[in-house]
Amino acid sequence: MGSLDSYLPIFLMTVLGVVFAALSFIASRLLAPQRPTAAKEAPYECGIVPTHEPARRFPVRFYLIAMIFIIFDIEIIFLFPWAVVFRELKTFGLVEILVFAAAVFISFVYLISNGALDWGPIKRVRPISTVQVRTSRSTVQRVGPSSGEAA
Amino acid sequence: MPDPLFAHGVGLAVILIAVVKVVAIFAVLLVTVMMMIWVERKVISDMQNRIGPNRAGPFGILQSLADGIKLFFKEDLLPERADRIIFKLAPYLTLVPAFLIFTVVPVGGIVTIAGHAVELQVADPPMGILFLLALSSVSVYGTMLAGWSSGSKYPLLGSVRASAQMISYEAAMGLSVVAVVLQTHTLSTRGIVLAQAPHFWKWGVFTTGIIPFVIFWIAGTAELNRPPFDLVEGEQELVGGFNTEYSSIRFAMFYLAEFMNMVTMSAIMVTLFFGGPDGPGFHFLRWLWPILWFAGKTGVFLYVYVWIRAALPRLRYDQLMDVGWKTLIPLSLGWLLVIAGADLHVGWLFGVLGGVILAGLVLSQALNVSRRRRELEAETAGRGRVTRVAEQIRLRALAAASTAASASSSSAASTDEGGER
Repeated sequence: MGSLDSYLPIFLMTVLGVVFAALSFIASRLLAPQRPTAAKEAPYECGIVPTHEPARRFPVRFYLIAMIFIIFDIEIIFLFPWAVVFRELKTFGLVEILVFAAAVFISFVYLISNGALDWGPIKRVRPISTVQVRTSRSTVQRVGPSSGEAA
Repeated sequence: MPDPLFAHGVGLAVILIAVVKVVAIFAVLLVTVMMMIWVERKVISDMQNRIGPNRAGPFGILQSLADGIKLFFKEDLLPERADRIIFKLAPYLTLVPAFLIFTVVPVGGIVTIAGHAVELQVADPPMGILFLLALSSVSVYGTMLAGWSSGSKYPLLGSVRASAQMISYEAAMGLSVVAVVLQTHTLSTRGIVLAQAPHFWKWGVFTTGIIPFVIFWIAGTAELNRPPFDLVEGEQELVGGFNTEYSSIRFAMFYLAEFMNMVTMSAIMVTLFFGGPDGPGFHFLRWLWPILWFAGKTGVFLYVYVWIRAALPRLRYDQLMDVGWKTLIPLSLGWLLVIAGADLHVGWLFGVLGGVILAGLVLSQALNVSRRRRELEAETAGRGRVTRVAEQIRLRALAAASTAASASSSSAASTDEGGER
């Protein structure tokens, strides 16, 4: 066994946690009433009878986020052993990790500038004004005999 | 340094000690969680000028126990559209990791029981930090599967949000933990705590320069789905989030796990950044002081979580994602490289610092580009690329023409208006 010995208490805790949850569920089964009705079992929609099936497809952005996360997670996992032996590696370790970080950073910048990490609906901007030169003519409406309209 | 308990093989006494430790921590965790639920409700109500629970026991201290017992007697509903096996499995996947993460947290010093040196923590695996990160990833599964298997609209939305949020902030969290490992040179939680003793200026929060702690704190709050990052259960939008369809004791398990994760996250922050059980002790009851220090520091963070919940409004989802990806991740990566440079040589410190600032400028430029792309898309939304480009050209021509037209009209007007424009 050797180095795996120190995982023994973790294994015991797993067993204890599972047993605790299982016993709670069994106790609840014994103590709680079991009178299901159609109304109780229907999906919760704030009292309205649901008309649509819940969507089984999500916006693709969520998958994109998951994939981008994997890049970073792998980077972090590589950083841990590096951090432990950094004092021994000295300059080599620093230069190496700078190159590594730069490689990840470039792809990160590419992702951001391509809008891969933008969220939510695109916000409407105001339409381009067709009159771009502002003069007293275009902004002030004159009233009186000198103007085109009747006062 | 490996766990001294297992240094001389595994005998009956060793197994007994391990069992006692496991059961003790298990019981302490459960009681702490019950107390924490009461404390949260009491403190929140105090901050909101209410009385809060005050019926069950003195000051309502037994309220969570009463709630727990009540939930045992409530009907356990299984929604008709649910995926039955996964629906029943999800509470285990949430609760068991919550118990397991706490096993690697050192709660006290080292004591001697029946000739065995015993570390006051359930387990001290050589890769404790990796174990911790791995389990915090596993707990995403519980949330995700609970919402997905409910067969209902709001839980599904809640769980998709939750998983995207949790994995987004996990990256920033991992990077700030690397900063601590860089200063302590070990992956064992006990080793990290020992490296931060015996002076408080050797605590992780100071040796890593505060920023990793702040990032870890924000990311940890987001991981827990606590306010202001509780979009997962935004009541106005999603009823109760991923656990809407859960009732009775199954719901109690999610609730328990949520608060247990909160206690664990505070304990991990104390371990990584505040020296764990480190603190001044006295000559009597030597084993007790580290435990008290640990409990006290953890309690401070628990209080702050409640305080934040009372004080801050919820973020919007795109703001949440922007903070995680565009601020915390680059910042934590850059800061990690800076302290690595500082560790080596002052020259390297300034070299790396310059590089990081340069990278920050590049990043802000990239953000600008992305913003301009979005504006362009917003102007011509809902059309294909070719029509979009054509539309752009048309709009520009229109704008130029109108500029010219208004310029000429205003110059014509200037004759009778005295040369305005």
